[in-house]
Amino acid sequence: MEWLDWSLISSTIRMVTPILLAALGGALCSRVGIFNVGLEGLVLVGAFSAIVGNHFTGSLILAVLIAAAASVLFSLLFSYMTIGLKANEIVVGVAINFLALGLTTFALRAIFDVKGAFYDKDMAGLPRLEIPLLHDIPVVGEIISGHSPLVYLAFLAAILLYIFLYRTVTGFRVLAVGMNPVAARSLGLKATRLQVMAILLCGVLCGVAGAQLSLGQVTMFTEGMTAGRGFIALVAMMMGQSHPLGILASSLLFGFMDALSIRLQGFSLPTQFTSMLPYVLTIAAMFFLKEKNRGASNNQ
Amino acid sequence: MVAVKELCKSLVQPLLAVFIGLLTGAVVIAAVGESIIGTYQELWKGAFGSFYFFSSTLARATPIMLIALGLALAFRAGVFNLGAEGQMVLGAISATLVAIYLPAPGIVKMLAALVTGIAMGGLWSLMAGYMEAKFRIPLLISTLLLNYIAVLFASYLVTEPFQDKGGSAALAQTVMLDKSIWLPKLFAGMSVHAGFLIALAAALLLFWVLRFTPFGYEVKMLGQNPFFAQYGGIQRIKVMLTGMFASGAFAGLAGTVEVLGSHYRFVDGALTVPNFAWTGLMATLLANSNPIGVIFTSILLAAFQTGAMGVERNTEVPLELASVIQAVLILFISAKFSYTWWKQRKKKGGDTHGVA
Repeated sequence: MEWLDWSLISSTIRMVTPILLAALGGALCSRVGIFNVGLEGLVLVGAFSAIVGNHFTGSLILAVLIAAAASVLFSLLFSYMTIGLKANEIVVGVAINFLALGLTTFALRAIFDVKGAFYDKDMAGLPRLEIPLLHDIPVVGEIISGHSPLVYLAFLAAILLYIFLYRTVTGFRVLAVGMNPVAARSLGLKATRLQVMAILLCGVLCGVAGAQLSLGQVTMFTEGMTAGRGFIALVAMMMGQSHPLGILASSLLFGFMDALSIRLQGFSLPTQFTSMLPYVLTIAAMFFLKEKNRGASNNQ
Repeated sequence: MVAVKELCKSLVQPLLAVFIGLLTGAVVIAAVGESIIGTYQELWKGAFGSFYFFSSTLARATPIMLIALGLALAFRAGVFNLGAEGQMVLGAISATLVAIYLPAPGIVKMLAALVTGIAMGGLWSLMAGYMEAKFRIPLLISTLLLNYIAVLFASYLVTEPFQDKGGSAALAQTVMLDKSIWLPKLFAGMSVHAGFLIALAAALLLFWVLRFTPFGYEVKMLGQNPFFAQYGGIQRIKVMLTGMFASGAFAGLAGTVEVLGSHYRFVDGALTVPNFAWTGLMATLLANSNPIGVIFTSILLAAFQTGAMGVERNTEVPLELASVIQAVLILFISAKFSYTWWKQRKKKGGDTHGVA
């Protein structure tokens, strides 16, 4: 069992961050009754804007903020189309994905005058935080310490979202809007406003997810670098029943499988099978979760 | 007269959407610093400029149309099948292997390959339907996940056991198919092949099935009001499974005709990189799941893509111009059916109010 050591857990935590953030955003949308297929596009826009922000301002904090702002802009479009113009949310989500892919490629050409990928060796990535006391503890330090700040933010976001949804009045109202918009409106809740807020917050989370992708792991942007992570986040969201802690668990499962599949590549297994592992195991896991799955498909 | 007026009315919004899409395209073209008019001329030339380019557009539209038809059927039945990509790839690779290894004369082999492609696409899709029916695994999740599995599995097959070892470079692809199995080109030297006719026939067939057969009626009822359909004795599971099989079969056929008519071998990524599956989804949504409408919307979307290839060849504007225009187009079209839906909803709401 040489391939199973603690650094596997550490890389799991790194892998899981963009997926977890995007899935939490998707969950917020799903909680107000909107199925957001556009996560992939929102994360991609975030990843690109983070690089643009970093290149022009030189500040990492500004870069992350710009990433979040750009994704919010896109989610504003999403909310205007779905809520304002009552367009089908799946149609709009698919369109957002195409738009994000097209516009980032275009902007890559227009701003940096390169094709395919942008990389600048002088550009600094997100720093690795070494938590003072924890870092010295043998195993725990190796696992928990030494990640980018956004990694900790992602886990914090899951807990905060849980507290928000289940322990605050506004959170209850959000849940009420998702369960029955008509009833919520009749109680005098501003359902539309809550829905728009949820979608915009989803944009923030996806933007940060994108920043972690382009600044936390590699410090570069490549065309379509999300490579399906937005859809994985969607699956993680559905598996986790749109519950923040459920999503934390399902995202960790995905991250672990991802890390494991990279680890297994050093062995004689063909890479396709190792990359297939997360998806096969997720389907297998769904057989055990079957009792609770009823809600997810009825959400439609 | 009324019909003409209705038709004009229904055309206003799509035309407006196309206009806004082109306007957005103009903005991004200007951002790259190219001539807008010149770029659009290239776009038109690349899609329809000569008979050769027009035939390429039709060839490109073929797999999109077949996928869109399958999805149209699924959506009509209220089944959300997001797994067209995997169904297409799995159908294509199985058909290719049959076409390579089946010891039979050319025409038999070709038919066997087509049947295999249809069957494998359908069965892969049916598996997701079965998991929903039996284990309550939501279709939206299972179809998305099965995409990755199918695409990776096909990629494994052509990089390991069935790779073409003959060429100098070790590309991830199978050996070239025998000429006798190729779907004939419709015009010598042009890219459009017999698969386009298959797609047209499939559109008419689907139109007929949905309009004039009991199964079509069941699909329609189920899609419009599942509770009433069940009350009326329609077996939801049966129609759902049939719909899943049929939509997967269309996707499998799409992959198969693309291999037999264009590539003549299975090349890893050749079916996934052009984004046929999601473009097919857009074509369905644009056509409001109408099989005859799908013919036109898939040609329109294909025209944007082949046109954008021409743009990339001759100007500095990247290929993704097509994605931008398509995305804006679909955003503004989607606001349409929701508008009618909104009117219906308002009417319905008013009625219940009256009763109460």
